[in-house]
Amino acid sequence: MLLSFENVSLSYPPHHAVLDDIDFNLHDGGFYFLTGPSGAGKSSLLRLIYQAEKPTKGRIYLFGEPMTGGDREALAAIRRKIGIVFQDFRLIPHLTAWENVALPLRLTDASEAYIQKHARELLEWVGLGDRLDAAPSELSGGEQQRVAIARAVVARPRLLLADEPTGNVDDNTALKLFHLFDELNKLGTAVILATHQSHLVESFNKPALRLAGGRIRG
Amino acid sequence: MSLPRTLFSPAFRARHLGRSFAVIVGIMVFIATFATAAETSLLALGYDWGKTMESRITVEIPAVGDESDMSQADRVQKAIAILRAMPEAGLVIPLSDSEVAGLLQPWFSEQDLLKTLPLPTLIDVIRKPGATLTADQIQDRLRSVVGDAHVDDHGAWLQDAWRLEHGLALVGGMMIVLTAITLFIAVTLLCRTVTASEHETIGLLHLLGARDRDIASHFQSQAERLAWRAAAAGFVIALAVTAALMYCTRHIVDFSTLTPLRWGLLAALVSLVPVGAIGIAAVTARLSVMRHLESLS
Repeated sequence: MLLSFENVSLSYPPHHAVLDDIDFNLHDGGFYFLTGPSGAGKSSLLRLIYQAEKPTKGRIYLFGEPMTGGDREALAAIRRKIGIVFQDFRLIPHLTAWENVALPLRLTDASEAYIQKHARELLEWVGLGDRLDAAPSELSGGEQQRVAIARAVVARPRLLLADEPTGNVDDNTALKLFHLFDELNKLGTAVILATHQSHLVESFNKPALRLAGGRIRG
Repeated sequence: MSLPRTLFSPAFRARHLGRSFAVIVGIMVFIATFATAAETSLLALGYDWGKTMESRITVEIPAVGDESDMSQADRVQKAIAILRAMPEAGLVIPLSDSEVAGLLQPWFSEQDLLKTLPLPTLIDVIRKPGATLTADQIQDRLRSVVGDAHVDDHGAWLQDAWRLEHGLALVGGMMIVLTAITLFIAVTLLCRTVTASEHETIGLLHLLGARDRDIASHFQSQAERLAWRAAAAGFVIALAVTAALMYCTRHIVDFSTLTPLRWGLLAALVSLVPVGAIGIAAVTARLSVMRHLESLS
């Protein structure tokens, strides 16, 4: 099992419920959409998965292990198995596109030669082979998005979480990005992709969790 | 793990934080090195001088007039003979008239007056190492020949000198401790500012799965590189100032009496200062980031 939510709730003080009694199971190697309107709780659910938040109630199992959040070394190890595409990209502004993509590999024992080669390959894969040395400020929103995707997948994560990865691009580019995620999924990485663009989701034959008002609907 | 060297550079460059960091470390190393060098060398000199004085007993034989049975020269010769016969007396050195006059010179404005005064004769007795010979024992032995001799082991004022020396050592030590505490506080405040301005980068590394200790080590090494350069500069300037001061005061304080071993010990002790400062800066930088990381879930 990849991920299990057991009656998980999340609320912020004093009484603002974001997620309410969420219960689902996702299988290893799957491709899942997480859909719902803005403010439905998609980002919060993803934050629970990569443990930037702790549930107010319920239990979460990731890679078959309960997420307790006690051991920081174990938490770091789990996070290295997860690739995250943030809604706001979170690229480090003073590093080049290539250095940003290489960052997750530098947290592993990968050799410098492997890092050099693989980060370059990933940028070529997302169509930015000619922008290796560009700073994020020199890239368009769509290009920054692709750098963020390359960074999320460069270390071959077991699970990829993408939070509105197509929010800043047109439908055509969005479909191309979805196909990139699909390619990655075929290589064995499970994908959970949060988006509010339901018309794009419908063109892909993948299971979807629909969130509305902090609850799973269908 | 090999994070880019420039990862935290913008934060150190922003608002001259890196420069402030270097200046603070440099100044603290300068003060601590100067204080340590001055204190340890003066303490070493004081200790050596004190040990010399402790082993020395001075016999004063008052001058006698012409009506006396025995001349002053005979009294001195007999006293010297008795002193040299004492097995625990290593050296017996009578001071010449000019040496005695030299001791009194600062208190007389008219130098000719000294020639007319009946000056006593002084004899220094240097005890053999480990000898327990006391001023009273010498006084007893001299009583039959020169009953009016006065024997002084310098105990009274040596104790005052020791107290002064220990007081100076305490003040010097406190200065060094205060410098270290100031350095710790200043670096902590600077590092908090740096980590606050690098909050996004640190948070991102945390979410990408970087271990706390790896992030902290990277930040620490960047702070260390800055501290090394600053500490080296502060150290060299402090040594130059100390050397210049020693040269200027060579007529008052004779540093040539220090043995090569003592110089070696002093050099080793002084060179610990920049190493200690770099250590404080590095540990403080590390603790600041660790503290910041602990606030992240």
